[in-house]
Amino acid sequence: MKALLIGEFREGKLLDSTYELLGFSNQLGTEASMLLVGSETHLPAYAGTLYLADAAMCGEYNPDLHKKLILDTVQKENPDYIVFLHSSYGWDLAPRVAAALKIAQVSEVTGIVPGGFEVGCCNAKMRRTVKPDSAKAVLTIQAGAFPVEQPGGTPQLQKITAEGKGTLEFIGFEPAEKKDVDLGKAEIIVSAGRGIGKKDNVPVIAALAKALGGELGASRPVVDAGWVEHSHQVGTTGQTVSPKLYVACGISGAIQHLAGMKKSDFIVAINKDKDAPIGEVADVLVVADVMQFVPALTAKVAR
Amino acid sequence: MEATREIYWNIGHGVVIPMYILAFAAFGVLAWGFWKRMPVWRQGKALDRFDRYDERVKRLIAEVFSQEKIFRIKDGGIFHSLFFWGFLILFAGTMLVMVQADFLTPLMHVNLLSGEFYKAFSLVLDLAGLVSLGMLSGLVVRRFVIRPKGLEIVRDDYIVLLLLFVILATGFFLEGARMAATELRQNPQLALFSPIGLLAAKLMASMSMDTLLITHKALWWFHFILVLAFFCAIPFTKLRHILTTSTNAFLAPLEPKGSIATINLEDESVEQFGAAAITDLTWKDLFDTDACTSCKRCQDRCPAYATDKPLSPMKVIKQIGELAEGNPSGNLIETVSQDALWSCTTCRACQDVCPANIEHVNKILEMRRNLTLMEGAFPGDEVRTAVSNIEVNGNPFGLAYAARGEWADCLDVTTMESGEEVDILYFVGCYASFDKRNQQVAKHFITICKAAGIKIGILGKEEKCCGEPLRKLGNEYLYQMMAQENIELIKGYGVKRIVTTCPHCFNTLSRDYKDLGLDIPVEHYSTFLSRLIADERLRLKPESFNFTYHDSCYLGRYMDIIDQPRSILKAAGGHITEMDKSGYDSFCCSAGGGRILAEEKLGSKISEARVAMAQETGAALLVSNCPFCLTMFEDGIKTGGAEGHLQVRDLAEIVAERIVV
Amino acid sequence: MKLLVCIKQVPDLESRFKPNAEGVWYNETDLAWRMNEYDEYAVEQAVQLREKQGDGAELTVLSIGPDRVVEAIKKALAMGADKAAHIQDPAAAAKDPWQIASIIAAYAKDKGFDVIFTGMQSQDRGSAQVGVTVAEQLGYTCTTTIVGFEYDNGNITAKRELEGGIKGVVKLKTPALVTCQLGLNVPRYPTLPNIMKAKKKEITTIPVSDLLKEDAMATTASFHPPAKKGGGIVLEGDVGTLVDQLIAILKDKTAVLR
Repeated sequence: MKALLIGEFREGKLLDSTYELLGFSNQLGTEASMLLVGSETHLPAYAGTLYLADAAMCGEYNPDLHKKLILDTVQKENPDYIVFLHSSYGWDLAPRVAAALKIAQVSEVTGIVPGGFEVGCCNAKMRRTVKPDSAKAVLTIQAGAFPVEQPGGTPQLQKITAEGKGTLEFIGFEPAEKKDVDLGKAEIIVSAGRGIGKKDNVPVIAALAKALGGELGASRPVVDAGWVEHSHQVGTTGQTVSPKLYVACGISGAIQHLAGMKKSDFIVAINKDKDAPIGEVADVLVVADVMQFVPALTAKVAR
Repeated sequence: MEATREIYWNIGHGVVIPMYILAFAAFGVLAWGFWKRMPVWRQGKALDRFDRYDERVKRLIAEVFSQEKIFRIKDGGIFHSLFFWGFLILFAGTMLVMVQADFLTPLMHVNLLSGEFYKAFSLVLDLAGLVSLGMLSGLVVRRFVIRPKGLEIVRDDYIVLLLLFVILATGFFLEGARMAATELRQNPQLALFSPIGLLAAKLMASMSMDTLLITHKALWWFHFILVLAFFCAIPFTKLRHILTTSTNAFLAPLEPKGSIATINLEDESVEQFGAAAITDLTWKDLFDTDACTSCKRCQDRCPAYATDKPLSPMKVIKQIGELAEGNPSGNLIETVSQDALWSCTTCRACQDVCPANIEHVNKILEMRRNLTLMEGAFPGDEVRTAVSNIEVNGNPFGLAYAARGEWADCLDVTTMESGEEVDILYFVGCYASFDKRNQQVAKHFITICKAAGIKIGILGKEEKCCGEPLRKLGNEYLYQMMAQENIELIKGYGVKRIVTTCPHCFNTLSRDYKDLGLDIPVEHYSTFLSRLIADERLRLKPESFNFTYHDSCYLGRYMDIIDQPRSILKAAGGHITEMDKSGYDSFCCSAGGGRILAEEKLGSKISEARVAMAQETGAALLVSNCPFCLTMFEDGIKTGGAEGHLQVRDLAEIVAERIVV
Repeated sequence: MKLLVCIKQVPDLESRFKPNAEGVWYNETDLAWRMNEYDEYAVEQAVQLREKQGDGAELTVLSIGPDRVVEAIKKALAMGADKAAHIQDPAAAAKDPWQIASIIAAYAKDKGFDVIFTGMQSQDRGSAQVGVTVAEQLGYTCTTTIVGFEYDNGNITAKRELEGGIKGVVKLKTPALVTCQLGLNVPRYPTLPNIMKAKKKEITTIPVSDLLKEDAMATTASFHPPAKKGGGIVLEGDVGTLVDQLIAILKDKTAVLR
């Protein structure tokens, strides 16, 4: 079985997430070739066939043109699967390819199972097994669901190009706003509750958040007490969040807080009270003194 | 000289006709003044406050003459009440003299004002005058020397106080002049019955007879003109309250406390909801602004004002009055300000203490209705989320409605769906259904009812928010939607009696739902338990404890349930140390008026203020009877630093621990 | 100017989901329903555009599903859509994104919509395919995940939300389709007069069989809860050991530690 992997390129650089496509292809057991609208100066470290178009000519975001490039390549390669990342580039482009080829698309695949692909649904609360009915299929894979595979080497280049300008004109990028914390989009949140004891202990929690690459959150009493700014508040009167990982430090689990973070994929609670209500929603409850456990965890994670 | 006096002595009977003409002219000015004012009130919408005439008149007479609302607040209240009675007596006395002089004497040749009666009459009037003068002086000292915080001094205050003072003073000197010229020489025994007049007379005793006569005449006319000036001033100064404030006792609502107008949403011709301008309020709302004397008692009681929020109930009334008079097309909501409007907890302390029967709360609700229904405005995003949650899942937490009855899973409680017969429907409410702390209250209530042999049914996942916070925030539409659904269910199950552990659900189901077709008995569990104990279906083994008690607004002020919870707690072995502000004077926990859904962003925390009041009693236990109060106090104890010193528990928990099976 | 906004009614995501009898989608009992959150942004943006265009502009809201979706349609009408098309389909949940897109395309084909708004994905299925597929089937230009939208005389300037909070600015010409993302706008809360007016607005009911000509491209073989995460694990003991245990669990159960 063959897979055509569509790599990602932005602001003049290859995105590392591209390597997850290789991880997926390995798991699927397909022979991979890759297509990338990018640059010869930033080639992926992979030794297979790479259909390369010049981003300077075809644009980094130009779905009409990129679709043409992919369709042309599909003609040559005849892959069974055309695999994208489920990213702002991938989910925008994949359905166009699927529609043009009149084949099935399975989106945001999280796993490969006998008979099909596993995807999340209902806010990741449930799972579906989806089976393409067409011989070929377009797939998009969930970021982080498959391992990064960097086999090393230099790709065998096949330069491709497409004519025309497409119907969309890409004007440019706008940098991210550095204003208030938007916990709604954070993937990892570490929250401080009253159990941390006092305002001076907040930096300990913030350090864990940083070490995990996440954001600092807070329960309401902590915000009310002025220990943390309101923009970090999680709960019904703060922000409702659904990160991949939520670490609740010294939070008892009052209903207003739970309602704000219940949707998190994986919840770790650190609390010295074994019966704290947060234990009912937590995947892991660590019964320990927050101020002893968290620094130790931060130290290990940061390594 | 016998015990009487010659009326019109020294003045002459020729004065009668000009006197009456002038008096009628003054009354004419008085009437004209109010007549001119009527178009201001008429800008408001129609409202019938003239039904059940007898009741209204009775209430008017009772309130005005007893002055009970005035002296409820000692500061200034005692002075005003005594001044009022004194002045009233003086007025009655003057009227009696007029009746005597112009009717009884010429037409019937009868002299009431003679003998023992005259002696009593003289004494009473003199004392009344003294008391009035004394009280008036006290009021002047209070306003100008002590200067209570928040009491504004305006131009009218100077005019009115000076006028009254001079009227009283000239009255005494006038009397003194007459007595100096007559009684002092002719009947000194009689003079003793007018002791203050006697004092004045003694001061003037050295004047020659001619001087006395001229002084008397001058004072008489001066006094008369001042009194006429008094009448003329009534419609144009604060003195208008003599008529407007008393009339308000007549116009006050006869509906149960907390009644809110139910909008007819079927009426497709209505395009404007709530109040955005003066003309959207009722004429009574505008009349209220004239009944207000800026006594600031409402402001003193307002929990929002006390914690530095921009709301002052008195200011709202004044602002409405200013717009009504000077700028009727002005934007009412911008004038009052959204921050002030959203700060109200509908605790009703303002209306409860107002001696003028002004209705503050519903004006605020009408403006909120405009904000919510016409603008889609909310006090904060968190409120909008909570409201959407109620719409989708029937509870403000956004938790799946299917889980609403799960708190009762292991308790063997009947769900109405099962079709079984039950004694009462326990309407649980959102907090007791979903909030861990309040679920305990619900569970204890079940325990208590089981011990008393009461079979309870709950609606479980079919129950929806009663809609009260929505209604108080102004969202009449969504409130009626939730209410209709609940009512349909309740009626469908043929429920005979409802008990609830939440005063907000209690108020809403027992009163507000009547307008939407639900008319069965609804009780709060405090009176329910009280009866069970009285009927001996429930017996408590008292276990001694010290506590202080918080009267929730919706149980105390709204429903007059003050004693029953206390007697229950006493039967449970409790020894109460009352807070200063208890009973009808209770201080809100902050969560009423839909604010349970909102964050308190302005000023300081009301819940912390109340927790501090509880701590002041020295008690280590605070007992409450409402899920909102319980939640607010648990919060307030933690954030106010009282953790470890004060514990808050619900009435149900105390009782459940002491049941004798 | 003619505008179309496509909405989907989804269950409230707080509900507990159980597989239906066939085991291929969720059981509908005990579910609370609401408009798909991303579609709310789409409706709001469509209404804003419609209001700016004034008289002569008309916004249609479309939804596919059984009778209960009329609730969601009414909300869109109360927010400001002018009329509605209810594609009546009691089995809408069984159709795949390709079929759904083809139904919408069949409806929109001859109507000359200048701009079509959809949400970027649905909260239940979340495949993020329908919007783009409709555009492809209609031959409309299309961009996705917009958090900024400006219209001027046939020219759209859109801001796409990219990873890391960066935005990509794109220009396209009508006829166009855009899929909307959180952050595009704050959907208005319908005022009561608008809710009342909405009751009188026209909802055309079209049976799905009139529009559906395509077969499914993919099948859902199973709808199930995720494999048990071992239930709530409670860890007690010495801090050092706990740290190691937690890290091991995080590595195993989540993708956040590598």
